[in-house]
Amino acid sequence: MTARHLPASIWVLGLLALAHATPSALADENNDLNLIPGAVGTPAPSEPAPQTSPAGGTPQRIYLENAFTGNLQRHGLAVAFPPPNPRAWQERLFLDARTEWRLGSRLGFTFSDRLNLGAEKGQPVPDDENVFNDFREGYLGWQPVDGAYLDIGRINLKSGVALGNNPTDFFKTRAVVEPLSADPSVLREDRLGTLMVRGQYIWSGGSVTAAFAPKLYQPSALDAERDPPSIDPLFDRTNAQNRLLLKSSIDFAEDLSPEFLVYRQGSETRFGANLTESIGHSLVVYGEWAGGWRHDLIHEALLYGRRTGTIPSSAPDPLPSDQGKAFRNEATIGASYTTESRITFNLEYHYNQAGFSHQDWHNWFAAGAGPSSSLWYIRSYAADQQEPVSRHSIFLRADWTDAFVPDLDLTGFVNIDLYDGSGFAQVTADYHLSDNWTVGGLAAGAFGGKRSDFGSLPTAASLMVHINRYF
Amino acid sequence: MIPMLRTLLLVISVAAASLTAAGGAHAQSAADIVAGTDRVRNPDQPFRSTVTFTEYVGGKERDHNTLVVFSKLDPATRQFRNLVQYMAPPRDAGKRVLLDGRSLWFFDPASKVSVRISPQQRLIGQAAIGDVLTVNLAVDYTATIVGTEDIEDSTRQPRHCWHLALKAANDQAVYGRIELWVEQGSFDPIKGKFYSDSGRMLKILYYGSFAERLGGTRPTQAIIIDAVDSSLATVASFGDYGFQDIPESWFQRDYLPRLTFQ
Repeated sequence: MTARHLPASIWVLGLLALAHATPSALADENNDLNLIPGAVGTPAPSEPAPQTSPAGGTPQRIYLENAFTGNLQRHGLAVAFPPPNPRAWQERLFLDARTEWRLGSRLGFTFSDRLNLGAEKGQPVPDDENVFNDFREGYLGWQPVDGAYLDIGRINLKSGVALGNNPTDFFKTRAVVEPLSADPSVLREDRLGTLMVRGQYIWSGGSVTAAFAPKLYQPSALDAERDPPSIDPLFDRTNAQNRLLLKSSIDFAEDLSPEFLVYRQGSETRFGANLTESIGHSLVVYGEWAGGWRHDLIHEALLYGRRTGTIPSSAPDPLPSDQGKAFRNEATIGASYTTESRITFNLEYHYNQAGFSHQDWHNWFAAGAGPSSSLWYIRSYAADQQEPVSRHSIFLRADWTDAFVPDLDLTGFVNIDLYDGSGFAQVTADYHLSDNWTVGGLAAGAFGGKRSDFGSLPTAASLMVHINRYF
Repeated sequence: MIPMLRTLLLVISVAAASLTAAGGAHAQSAADIVAGTDRVRNPDQPFRSTVTFTEYVGGKERDHNTLVVFSKLDPATRQFRNLVQYMAPPRDAGKRVLLDGRSLWFFDPASKVSVRISPQQRLIGQAAIGDVLTVNLAVDYTATIVGTEDIEDSTRQPRHCWHLALKAANDQAVYGRIELWVEQGSFDPIKGKFYSDSGRMLKILYYGSFAERLGGTRPTQAIIIDAVDSSLATVASFGDYGFQDIPESWFQRDYLPRLTFQ
């Protein structure tokens, strides 16, 4: 039977049902009221709604965290790891504070710091290295006129729209200290700012930013000790070159606001761009690109090692590399998708033209048969620069709020080298016991063959447990 | 099967529309009713409000969140632009969200990075971003009148309502479709049922505690019940209303780290 063969009486009944719902249907509708928790109160209409914090101001974030990390070492490495070995365990207790003080209607001071108490296997206690402070930010901000801002001091200036790797985040180099997690979003939190002057103008159709960071120190070795041990602000990491950044974001059309960047560091200039687009209400796609004339990763690392005295200037190159500069690109293309059950997935492709090619990996493992600590130095340099070692990689991250039970947050990611299929995976679980207490854990591991990117790492797996108290 | 269903729906819609035109109870068009109830929920001048969320699990109070929301109507689109700051709990304090047209950005002061997010991403408890931000439903949905019904509001008082069916009209709509009950005469929103694109009911929402705010009678409470797991509920209380001049530059992504207010 087709629709047009339905008896007319059926239509009449259907239309009557539409126009005036039956009592039983309305009763069902009112049954939804039984789902309202009995504890829900109705605020008196004459009174304002309750508040749990002041209505104005910029909230601060202060918390105390204790974290214990254990690492499982890998034996029989394809390329021997030079001493000292990665720590077997580490215990850390730290106080983390981010706050802002208003000094007037147009003047403010921003402060961000982490004070650590730490101990690890093989380290005597007490020792002058048990206490160390990470001074992340401290700057004065002034708004001379509406929309215009001038900041001076130690500033964490970040750029980029991707999650797993940000080629346009030019101030990320050498800035990450003592991370507790390999999650890129956490790495951005444990990062030192740079001493700089920053000007910014924001108007209804876009923004423009200029920042200059002066060279105040000579470049230091990757493994340079803090001096003095406890409170060294490590400006040698962030202000060892003159650096200039210009960037602007313009609204060209609705939902089309690309950002363009020009960055100058020493004698090198790089360009960058960021673009995002929303598709429907579940999907966001994004792209990030940076390019400029530079050495490849191997040559750049060896130059830096020789310049800072870690690698003897007379030592031969352990690997063949491109000795000259060329225009090299770095890019991230990705998308995020949120399911109906509110799990957000990010999938990204990372390209680093300066990174290791398939032939470079072959050379690296072949050279590892002989004694050469500078092989691992190249990879340590890449990690210090926050730059992918391999030329092609894939990054997948999942984020699930209220997973299985309320207040349980699960996050997992995997980073895979597309040359050899090796990878690094990490899962974290955080459970919010209350508004002020959170407990959590982290498990991470590298997988792949002995002669692969991640399978050759000295640490095979890590476990971490932590407890946080927020104030 | 699908063509038959389409035909059936079309015939019913046309017939219902004919009844609507003939019936005095439906003198208002569906679009007028949605626009009317939008005006009840949202003032037409830039304003600020504080939203306090209380989450219930199995009937017991559990978590609390507080947001400050700045809203301003875009005269070109008739849709609101919103800037949100998390005030509590302490672990979330300082996080911010910006909605400007199709762009939705999330800023975390810990990472100091603004990440573009989709409207589907959960904001707090059972509340999606679309539940919290000031939104004119008339812009994002097309509405039809299903009928008139007497239903009980959140305090079990009877309300004589239009029963409306709203369907997403653009990809900025957070939900695939909505059922909405609006009281006749007052245009007070009483109840809503929200569905995903796939047709699954996601939540039931009751508006309540109507009071004089910003020159009109507006709901100051929303009870959001998870339709998938009915042991979960979130109560949003709206307060601390005030008209506020909001500069256009506040709705730029780069303004997110700069937001300070008294």
